[in-house]
Amino acid sequence: MQQFAPLALDALNYTSVLLLVSIGLIIVFGLMGVINLAHGEFFLIGAYSVLVAQGFGLPFWIVLPIAFMITVTVGLCVDACILRFIYHRPIDTILATWGLSLAIKQLMIIIFGPGAQQVSAPITEPAVIFGVTYSSYRIVIMLITGAITVATLSLLYLTRFGLAARAAMANRQMAQCLGINTRLLDRTTFGLGAGLAGVAGAVMAPLMSVDPQMGLSFLIPAFLAVLVGGAGSPLGALYGSAVIGTSNTVIASWWTPVIAQIIVFSLAIVIIRTLPAGISGFRRS
Amino acid sequence: MTRLGLYTTIIFWLAMAMLPLVVRPWDLVMFSQLLIYGIAAMSLALIWGQGGLLCFGQALFFGVGAYVMALTGKGLIPGIAASAWLGLGLATLSGALVALLAGFALFFGQALRGPYFGIVTIAAAVIVERFATNWRYIGGYNGLLDIEPLSFALIWPGLDSAEPLAGYLTALLAAFAVFLLLNALVRSPFGTVLRGLRADEQRVASLGYSVGLWKTIAFCIGGGTAALSGALFAVQFSFVSPAVIGFAMSTEILIWAAVGGKEVLLAAMAGAAVVKYFEAVLSDAIGHYYLLVIGIIFIVVVVALPRGLLGRLFELPRPQRLRADGISGHTQKHRERADAAAPMEPRQPAPGKQEDGT
Amino acid sequence: MILEISDFHAGYIRDANVLQGVDLSVRAGERLAIMGRNGMGKTLLVKSIMGLVRPSAGAIRFDGMAITGMPTHRISNLGVAYVPQGREIFADFTVLENLRLGIIGKPALRSESFDQVFEWFPILAERKSQRAGTMSGGQMQQLAIARALVGRPKLLLLDEPSEGIQPSIVHEIAVTLNRISADEALTVVVIEQNVEMVERLSERVLFLENGRIAEQANVHDLSEDPSVIERYLGV
Repeated sequence: MQQFAPLALDALNYTSVLLLVSIGLIIVFGLMGVINLAHGEFFLIGAYSVLVAQGFGLPFWIVLPIAFMITVTVGLCVDACILRFIYHRPIDTILATWGLSLAIKQLMIIIFGPGAQQVSAPITEPAVIFGVTYSSYRIVIMLITGAITVATLSLLYLTRFGLAARAAMANRQMAQCLGINTRLLDRTTFGLGAGLAGVAGAVMAPLMSVDPQMGLSFLIPAFLAVLVGGAGSPLGALYGSAVIGTSNTVIASWWTPVIAQIIVFSLAIVIIRTLPAGISGFRRS
Repeated sequence: MTRLGLYTTIIFWLAMAMLPLVVRPWDLVMFSQLLIYGIAAMSLALIWGQGGLLCFGQALFFGVGAYVMALTGKGLIPGIAASAWLGLGLATLSGALVALLAGFALFFGQALRGPYFGIVTIAAAVIVERFATNWRYIGGYNGLLDIEPLSFALIWPGLDSAEPLAGYLTALLAAFAVFLLLNALVRSPFGTVLRGLRADEQRVASLGYSVGLWKTIAFCIGGGTAALSGALFAVQFSFVSPAVIGFAMSTEILIWAAVGGKEVLLAAMAGAAVVKYFEAVLSDAIGHYYLLVIGIIFIVVVVALPRGLLGRLFELPRPQRLRADGISGHTQKHRERADAAAPMEPRQPAPGKQEDGT
Repeated sequence: MILEISDFHAGYIRDANVLQGVDLSVRAGERLAIMGRNGMGKTLLVKSIMGLVRPSAGAIRFDGMAITGMPTHRISNLGVAYVPQGREIFADFTVLENLRLGIIGKPALRSESFDQVFEWFPILAERKSQRAGTMSGGQMQQLAIARALVGRPKLLLLDEPSEGIQPSIVHEIAVTLNRISADEALTVVVIEQNVEMVERLSERVLFLENGRIAEQANVHDLSEDPSVIERYLGV
C-alpha cells in the first residue's frame, strides 16, 4: 500500500488540475459550441501572472485571485473582440481561437523571452500523509482545485444561473424563447472558463517550468479528457480528467513521460472512437 | 458569369513558368520551396475546403513523405535499393497508405463529428511528432541529413535537382501536375459528392453514398499529395527533422490554406506562397513580432473572410455539366448553394443529366 | 391591437420567401387560430414573431412596440410566450426545473410560486420532481404550456398543441386554455390543423395560403359551413 500512495497522490494531483482546465472547455463547448484552442493560453497567462506578481514581491496567495481576474478579463475581451462574430460558426471558432493562441504565445515570447523560467512554491517543507512523505504544496493544490471544482459544480447544479446555463446548453433557442439572454450567459461562462484555466496555470506554475509552450501541454490532455468523459455534460470533465490523469501518471512512473503521452493519447483516440458520447453519455444510455 | 478566375489561373502558371528568365538562381531555390509548400496547401484544400474535413494533422502525411523519401534515398530501408526516384514514388504511396488506414480508423462506423475529428487529428500530430523525436532509427531529435537529390543524369550527365533551375522545374512540374489532377477531381462528380459531404453528411448518406468510403478516398488522395510535397521538401532541403511531421507544420499548412482560400485549390497554393513570402519580409522588418502579426491576420481572415484572401481571384468558372444556359449570375449562386446542399447525382451518373436534373 | 403584422415577408432560405405579404392584427384578449396546409409558413410566422427568423421585409408590432429584429429574449420579456411544435421541454430536467426556467429569464417577476399553474394543470403538481422526459406526450404538452404561462405573458403562441396527443387530452387542454384566456385576459394565437381544438379554443380563424392570409372566418360560421375548412385544409 505504502509504495502506491505517492503514485496515487500524483495521479490525483494531475487529475485535479486537468479538471480545472477541462471544466472551462466543456461549459464553453456545451453552451456556445465553441472549441477553444486558446484555452491553453489562459493557463499560460495564469502561470505568467504568478511570475510577474512574484517579481513584484506579492505573496502567492494573493496572486491566485489576481491570476483569476486577469484571465477572466482576457476571456471577456476575447469574447467581445472575436467570438461574438463567429459563435454560430463552430468550425471557424476552432480556427480563430487557434490563431489567437499563436498570437498570445508569441506575445508572451516578446514580453518574457522564449526561455523557461522558474517560480518558487509558497511552501516547501514536506508533509506526511497516509504514512508517506509528500510535497505539501501538491496537497495544497489538490485542496484548492477540489474546492474550486466543488464551487463550480455547485454553481452549475444548484443556482439559478446554473439552471439557465444548463438549459441553454440543452436547447439554446428554447432558452431564448423563455427570456434567457444566452449571449450574456456565453460571456459569463467564457470568462469563468478562462478564469478557471488561469487559476490552474497559476497553481501549477511552481511545479512546472514556466515557458510559452506550456499551454499546449495542458490543452491537448484537457480536450481529450472532455471527449473521453463526454462533452454532453459538465460531469464528463470529471470522468475524463480522472481517466487521462490517472493513466498518464501511472504509465509515466513505469516508463517515461514521453511514452506515457504517446500511449495515453492513442488510448484516448480509441475511446473517443468507440464511445462517441464519452463515458458520461455511455452511462446515461 | 465571370471568367476572371480562368484568366488569373492561366496568368499564374505562365508567370511561374517564366520566372527562371527573370529571377536569380538563388531566388529560384526559394520559389521552389514556395511551390512545394503550395502542393501541401492544395492537399489540405482538397480534404478541408472541398470535403469539409478540418485536419490539424496534415503534416503527418507531409512528414511521412519526407521521412520515407529520406530513408529510401539513403538506402536505410532494408531490401529496398537506395534511389531518390524510387523514394519519391514510395513516399507518395506511403502517405496515401497512412491516410487510408487513418480513414478506415476514423470514418467508418459511428463517425466522429466535425469538431471531434479536428481534436483527434491534433492529438495524432502530437503523438507522431513525439514518436519521431524518440525513434533513433529515423534520426531521433536530429533527423536525417544529406538526402540524395533527384538525379537527371539521363538528360544531362551529372545534373540533379540540387541545381537551382532543375530543382525549380521539378517543383513546378510537380505542382502543375498536382493542380491539374486535383482540379479535374474537384470538377468531376466526385468533387460534387465531396462538397455535398461538407454541406450535409446525412443527406449525402441518405442518397445512398457510403460517407466513410468517400471520405477515406478523399483523405487518401490528400494524404498522397501531402506526402509528395513532403518528399520534394526533403530533396530540396536535403534534410528532415521531427519538425516536418508535427503539430507546428500542420498548423502552418492550415494557415496557408485558410489565408489563401481553402475552397479554391490555386488560392490555397498561392496562400502558401503569400504567407511564406510575407513571413520572410516581416521577420526581416519586425523580428519576433511577425508571428504575432500572422496570428492576427489569420484571426481576421477567419472572422471576416471565410473564403480567404485569394478565393475570389482564382475561382474557376463552374464545370460545364453544372451549368444551365441562360442562367444569370444571381441564380447561378443559388445553384451552387443548392448543389452543395443536395448533390443529386445518381450513383452512376448519366452524362449531362446530373445535379441539374432537379 | 396587441399584435400587428404588416406586409410581412420571410423565408428559411434567403431570397426564397414562404411568407409573401402577411397582414394580420390581433385584439388584446382575443383567441385566434391560424390554419393552413403543411408548408404554408404557419410555423415560420410564429417563429418570426419570436424573433427566431429574420424577416426580409415587413414589420411586427407587439403592444405598440416595433419588435422586428429584436433579440428573442427581449421579445419574451415584453410578454410573448411560445409553446413550440414538438413542445421542446427540457427532457433531462425535472418538471419543477422546467417551470423555474419559465421565470428565470424574467427579472420583472419576483415570486416563484407555481400554485396557479398547478391548479390549472394538477398533473404537474403530482409529478413535480419527476424527470420531464419520462412523462406522456399530453403531460409534456401541459408542462410546455405551464412553463410559458408562469412567465405571465400577454400573448401566448401555440404551435400545433394537439400534435401527437390523444383526443381526450386535446379536449381537456383546449378547455383549460379557454378558461385561462378568459380569466387572465390572455391573448392566444394558436396554429392548428385539428378542427376540434380550433373550435374549442378560438373565436376567429385565419387561413394561410400561398404566403398570405387568404381568408378569415368566425368559428361559429365555420361549424355551420365546413366547406371553408375543406378548401384550405383538404388535400
